[in-house]
Amino acid sequence: MPIWLELLILLLLTYGGGLAIGWVIWGRNRSGENHG
Amino acid sequence: MVELVQDNWILFVIALIIGLLVAWWIFAATRRTKVEIEHRDEAEATPARRNQALIDSPPAAAAASELPPATPVGMAGVGEALATAATPAPPAVEEEAPPSPTATAPTQDASPALAPTVAAPEAAPAPAGSDELLRIKGLGPKLADQLRTLGITSLAQIAAWDDVEIDRVDAQLGRFQGRIRRDNWVEQARLLISGDVPAYEERFGKL
Repeated sequence: MPIWLELLILLLLTYGGGLAIGWVIWGRNRSGENHG
Repeated sequence: MVELVQDNWILFVIALIIGLLVAWWIFAATRRTKVEIEHRDEAEATPARRNQALIDSPPAAAAASELPPATPVGMAGVGEALATAATPAPPAVEEEAPPSPTATAPTQDASPALAPTVAAPEAAPAPAGSDELLRIKGLGPKLADQLRTLGITSLAQIAAWDDVEIDRVDAQLGRFQGRIRRDNWVEQARLLISGDVPAYEERFGKL
């Protein structure tokens, strides 16, 4: 596996981790807002 | 692999920050648009309150438009010359109008100041009956007119709705369909009738 591909995969995984953290912080409670 | 991460750690930090920013944009930014929609609803509700004065005025305008024609019709047979002379007639109409509210006043000649105070409470409930629908948040003048045509004029009627009735009325609301449940009209009406202002404001915001 070329090193650039390995780096790219790791970067994508990190990006996905950032998305997951953001979802936990801002997105998880959204379903509770719909009433009202 | 550890060496790769150590060598390029700044790239990973940037990727993580970008991921966080995208997540914030997706989740927190969409939440902002929701708040904007709620603000729009409030904006709809406030003009509704202002329009209460406008809605109050038509009966007065209608009464005025009904009264003046009476004099022209009477004058029509006499001729235009007399019709121009009839311009003092409107004052006569104005003089006729006061007697009805003051009809109760002559009994209270001793205290003339009481007459307006008695008349004011009588005037207040009348518009309240026609406009009380507008107290429901999310229910504006257009919807109130539409409901009036459906025979719904009071909060008590809305408070008594069940699911079947909500569906029946909702089907006739045209482009406003879904508002009844979305804005919880029934619950709002019940709280408004009960006079439980703190509970209402806690649930639906300031009155």
